[in-house]
Amino acid sequence: MTQELEHKFVSELEKNQNIVHKICRIYADSPDAHNDLFQEITIQLWKAYPKFRGDAKFSTWMYRIALNTAITLYRKSKRQIKTQGYDSVIHKVKARQYDDTEEQQLKLMYQAIKQLNDIEKALVFLYLEDKNYKEIAETLGITDVNARVKMNRIKTKLKKILNP
Amino acid sequence: MMDELELLKKDWKKREQEFPKLSHDDIYKMMLKKSSSYVKWIFYISIIELGLGILVAIFYHPSYEKEFPLPRFMDFIYLITIPIIIYFIYRFFKNYQQISTTASVKELMKSILKARRTVKLYILINICLGGIISIISLTATFIQLNEDWEQLSSSEKLKEYFTFILIAIVATALILGVFLAIYYLLYGILLKRLKRNYKHLKKMEGDE
Repeated sequence: MTQELEHKFVSELEKNQNIVHKICRIYADSPDAHNDLFQEITIQLWKAYPKFRGDAKFSTWMYRIALNTAITLYRKSKRQIKTQGYDSVIHKVKARQYDDTEEQQLKLMYQAIKQLNDIEKALVFLYLEDKNYKEIAETLGITDVNARVKMNRIKTKLKKILNP
Repeated sequence: MMDELELLKKDWKKREQEFPKLSHDDIYKMMLKKSSSYVKWIFYISIIELGLGILVAIFYHPSYEKEFPLPRFMDFIYLITIPIIIYFIYRFFKNYQQISTTASVKELMKSILKARRTVKLYILINICLGGIISIISLTATFIQLNEDWEQLSSSEKLKEYFTFILIAIVATALILGVFLAIYYLLYGILLKRLKRNYKHLKKMEGDE
């Protein structure tokens, strides 16, 4: 029984692992931190899995637990030293077809997001994931109006970071 | 700006292919690792705190170490600590049960902070009671070393007694203050990030 449950869980997570990777990309500062956070999210998901009823989609259910882990539960270990340039490494991984200005623009955008606080990052993450304001509000536990207002503020804030 | 964020959205999806693909086996191994979450640490520390309170209540009864009889109401103070401890143990487990990772970010933070507040209150009450008990015991012992209770009010040494009581209070307050400082430092470190994030979330509601 347990084995069956374990197998089912791992398969589901394997299929949806990109969601976790994307959260790590927003919250982790280095490849080490990325792996560490991925692991903690996996543990928390597994801990909560017995309560997962299957009336919601697995991916929807994952968003909450993964974000909760990244924002509230995760304890950065001391050995992780902030490494600058993690972003630039990722950006160089693949040769892009973008022209230089677009590439440059995107790079700056990712860097700007890194400067936001944890809650703002969550909003941006959910926004990039194409979630509507109702879903964003429910995930964070705030009202739709607040989510909308805050998202507009973040856009202004990002603009300021990009064009000081 | 809007355009840039939309541009980012497109890029965001494209980049999914860049992520390392973890295998079934990789995920299985991760799943069995031990969590290093804040809640776990806070939970352990809280258990230790509750345990210390209980140990003190069991083993430290004011009348144990007594060559000198203490005032009657000391027994009363001791007795009221028992229902207090039972109440806090109940609240403690109830609180931790309510911490759920499937709640919204705000609810989760709230439930952790609530669990923390309960133990904080428990510690404060314990420290206050401990302070009161030690001040009374110290004073009573001192007085009886010198003379009888009855003679206290008429005593010429009244001033001396007051000085002693004052010293007892200051010394107790200092010792308990050090304990409290260590205690707050411990949680300050553990809960720093959580509190900061909770503040950001609360602020969002404030500036509608």
